[in-house]
Amino acid sequence: MNPLQTKTDAASKSRALNQRNVLTRTARFGPNMTPMVDVTLVILIFFMASATIAGPEWFLRADLPEIEEQSDQSSNFALPTPILSADLLIRDNQVFVNGFGNESISIESVIQRIANMEPALSNGLILGIRAKDDVPYSAIVSLHDAASKAKMRVAFR
Amino acid sequence: MKNRSIISSNGAGARINVTPMIDVVMVLIVFYLLVGQLALDRKASIRIPGSTSGLEEQQTLDPIIVGITSEGIVSINGVTLDQSLFIPEIENMHARSPGTPIRLRADRDAPFGVIRPIMHAMRDANIPRVELVTEQRR
Repeated sequence: MNPLQTKTDAASKSRALNQRNVLTRTARFGPNMTPMVDVTLVILIFFMASATIAGPEWFLRADLPEIEEQSDQSSNFALPTPILSADLLIRDNQVFVNGFGNESISIESVIQRIANMEPALSNGLILGIRAKDDVPYSAIVSLHDAASKAKMRVAFR
Repeated sequence: MKNRSIISSNGAGARINVTPMIDVVMVLIVFYLLVGQLALDRKASIRIPGSTSGLEEQQTLDPIIVGITSEGIVSINGVTLDQSLFIPEIENMHARSPGTPIRLRADRDAPFGVIRPIMHAMRDANIPRVELVTEQRR
């Protein structure tokens, strides 16, 4: 066998193989999706984790204390607004409320009373909340929550 | 053995494959941007109280978020403020956009003694009402 012929055959075979490789590469050419999938997955996991940690939120609307000023002439014609007053205080490390009856009662009892009120009576009623300095905010919100469920309007005093 | 170097030696000139680096940098940027925005109140460690009733989000305007920690540290939209600076700041913000809702994110353990002055300050700024942010408990 001619050695020159063998060399030529080997060269042409190698060229053909190379050609096939190029074609294969050309066929697979396109955007590499792997990095995009990586990033998308990380963002997805982040959102899932943050949503679980944060928890859904909503809000309770409350009127702020009114500015105390001299009433003008026109306000004499205004109809009196029905106001239920709740004064929160701490006694024996428990939250009590003044204003529902003659003596202080626990906040749980007040919440229960509000829940048991007739809707026709409680609807539109203004609950004025006043609290001592040491009353925790969570107690005020729980009272506000009960009032909101009874369709009351809440105002801080 | 297959060459796994990041310096590609294919072709005429060797070059560094920067794709993994861009991936990582992009992820870090996005992560910090989002965490920075979402955790504004977490930085101030506010644990809001829960409620079984409430109003769902309806506003299209971005609300003004007033944060109060259990220690009485006050912030507006995540920026901590001295109480003396709170009144002019909230006044300015409310005057610029009077229709913007104001949400109060106070810590559940905060005593009312630290919340009352903030409410009074907001009342003095002619803000008629606030929205108390709570966690949904159904």
